[in-house]
Amino acid sequence: MDIKSILLKKFGFEHFRVGQEEVIRNVISNRDTIAILPTGSGKSLCYQLPAYIKNGAVLIISPLVALMEDQVAIMKKNGEKRVVAINSFLAYKDRQRIMNRLDLYKFIFISPEMLMQNNVAEQIKKLKIAFIVVDEAHCISQWGFDFRPDYLRIGEFLKQLERPNILALTATADNQVLGDIINYLRLETPAVHKHSLDRKNISYSMKQMNSEHEKTAWILERTKKTAGPGIIYVASRKRADELAIYLKEHGISIASYHAGMEQEDRAFIQEQFITGEINWICATTAFGMGIHKNDIRQVIHENMSSTIAGYMQEVGRAGRDGDLSAATLLFTEEDIGKTRFIVQNDLPTETEVRHYFNLIKEGSSKNEATQLSGISETGTRIIDYYLERMPMESALLKIKEQKTEKEKQLQNMLHIINGENCIRKSLLKFYGETLVAAPASCCSVCGLGEEDWLFEMKRGNSTRQIVDWADRLARLLQS
Amino acid sequence: MDLSFLLLTIISRLDGERSIYASYHLLRGKRSGQTLQDVEYYSLKGFFCILPRLKIDVFDGAINHLKKAGYISIDEDSVVYITKKGKEVLHTLPLYRFNGWDYRGREHVFFSRLSLIVQTASYFRADQKSFMPMQNDYDIQLFVKEFLLKQRILDEEFSNQLFQELRNSIEQSGMNGCQKTIFVHRLGGYKHAGWTWKQLSDEMGIKPFTLSLYYIESLHMLLQTISQSSKYPLLTEIIKNIQVSTYLTESTIKTKELFNQGMSMQKISQLRHLKMSTIEDHFVEISINDQSFPIEEFVSATEIAAVVAKSSELGTKRLRLLKEEFPSLTYFQLRLILGTGSRGGAKWISNQSC
Ligand SMILES: [Zn+2]
Repeated sequence: MDIKSILLKKFGFEHFRVGQEEVIRNVISNRDTIAILPTGSGKSLCYQLPAYIKNGAVLIISPLVALMEDQVAIMKKNGEKRVVAINSFLAYKDRQRIMNRLDLYKFIFISPEMLMQNNVAEQIKKLKIAFIVVDEAHCISQWGFDFRPDYLRIGEFLKQLERPNILALTATADNQVLGDIINYLRLETPAVHKHSLDRKNISYSMKQMNSEHEKTAWILERTKKTAGPGIIYVASRKRADELAIYLKEHGISIASYHAGMEQEDRAFIQEQFITGEINWICATTAFGMGIHKNDIRQVIHENMSSTIAGYMQEVGRAGRDGDLSAATLLFTEEDIGKTRFIVQNDLPTETEVRHYFNLIKEGSSKNEATQLSGISETGTRIIDYYLERMPMESALLKIKEQKTEKEKQLQNMLHIINGENCIRKSLLKFYGETLVAAPASCCSVCGLGEEDWLFEMKRGNSTRQIVDWADRLARLLQS
Repeated sequence: MDLSFLLLTIISRLDGERSIYASYHLLRGKRSGQTLQDVEYYSLKGFFCILPRLKIDVFDGAINHLKKAGYISIDEDSVVYITKKGKEVLHTLPLYRFNGWDYRGREHVFFSRLSLIVQTASYFRADQKSFMPMQNDYDIQLFVKEFLLKQRILDEEFSNQLFQELRNSIEQSGMNGCQKTIFVHRLGGYKHAGWTWKQLSDEMGIKPFTLSLYYIESLHMLLQTISQSSKYPLLTEIIKNIQVSTYLTESTIKTKELFNQGMSMQKISQLRHLKMSTIEDHFVEISINDQSFPIEEFVSATEIAAVVAKSSELGTKRLRLLKEEFPSLTYFQLRLILGTGSRGGAKWISNQSC
């Protein structure tokens, strides 16, 4: 069967989206492939479709458990039952059950740290693997905004394997990151597909404010008068709850959404947002990855982002349906200092690293050492990786380099925020792209053009109300 | 319903007999000899394990509240007493209908099953065959799948029957208005997503913690209603294996098997590489739960009668006090006597009995 008929039969689409077909053809012809496709452009089709043509299972390495679980749920929902996620959250009994029957699955999602476990790796080596997918491949790069040392270990895993071809997927990769992907995954003359990251239907605004208070007031006005559905990104779980309560008191249909909530409650909020029962979601940047909704009209950042790549990924959740959407970032002078502090604080200082090292040497467990030295969790993961491979002095140097890199990325973001140039142009330039033609609604520098659509409130703020218990039961089961 | 007042009810039974933390271990369902024994001696089965994840600071907060209000006092050995003032409020408190002993957290498994079944029925009714399941636990999904295979889920009659059974059993269970509201809003379906705890709390003006207590109690009430009636065939299927089948801990079960084979306590202790005190704990646990436990092999009938009489005369089950009265008996023997003396299944717990 040719790929067009599979597209129709299995996925129900008549046509490929831009960029998909070339990637798919490369994967099918066993070539190492890198696909840089913007979020929401149908990345997952790039491995799902070839899987139906090739024999064997597809191994998909994915960094975030939430993202993985989500993708699995979507595929199951769409009728593919031979899909499974293996990660450290899996209960022991479930893991045993799955590992023993790994051959039953066509799509195996796995987190990098699980790949490092010998028994898991052994089981995988026994399988016939059609090809390997490395999702969010930019995580492998120390220069990426989302560096995960665990990802570097993927290369070590691949060494043990007579490996099939690899498909590396990411939404954001500049040349430096691209180089790292090729290097660490040992790709052989990969085909690189880079689709323009320009999202014409999204307009970009950066607004300087004088105080946090002013930001809150602006957000209230905005959510009162302009169209949703939308996401508001805030800096902490606490702030997410706080802001959601404040806006709700003023009649906005909104809920907070973050990792501090129970799984069931998060599922409820997702569902309410997707069905339109609530119009806005107030989320932390670390979370909200799993929100799949095509008609998000607005993304608001309450604070400055620390990297362009992160910003692009968050903004990318808007307007997947292709309709006009607005991205607005609010910032104050103080934000810059605050953001710098948070970013730099993520990485350990020299004293902390030495302290940590000595604690381990004196026989402390990793957990104890982490706590006593006051290093963040990400921090320890990075140190562990380096200390296993190089002497302390070199490790310190590596960490120092990373600090410099983070500062550079912050400067890049600052440059865009403070710049007098077109925001769209600057964002694209960061990825080595040149803007050909700006849309009418471009950015707060060029002008936002007519924004009538933004003020058309298609949906009033819905009134969710507690109803009589027997009525609700009847609505669920009798209507 | 408030954690402080719930604790006051528990403390009224432990009055002057146990440390304040006995109530903490009880709520968290600690399966230690001491807690299992307390549950039995002081008729606290209903409260066992209703809050397995209760944090110590939340507990301390609730206790401080009771202390400040002058309802309880705690002596230097951490033994807790209920004050006169405390006894007065006791009468104003609601009757609790928890049945933690029988369910031990498994009530949540029941609700997860029900939630997924209701969601599926609701979507199928709307002709929507594909949706995101609100429950992603594998065992729950497997249970629901097998359950639904046996039903004619495509037939409207299925959801009608589920509706009838749910409505009738909820009415029958004696849940109060708040509990009914919470229960049905935690369920979700097509175009009616469930409500989060926070949303319910905001809308109903009840603290999240109080909501969860109401909710857990309502699950126990509903489970009891369903299990005692033959009028709910679908729900009866859904509550399968929710009630704990054995009240003994796994380690105790092993000890019991060896004992049944005729082994002595010493022998069991050697064989299992367990301390004698642990084996004694096991025996006390068995004596509490097993009607056929041969207590006469350990103490005489006269001794039992004497201890039981003394215990009620003094109004205490504190071992130290009883030991002073019966220096010839060991602590182990005393524990066995107190254990068999209070034997029985889980009972509804009300304040009248205090
Ligand atoms: Zn512009």
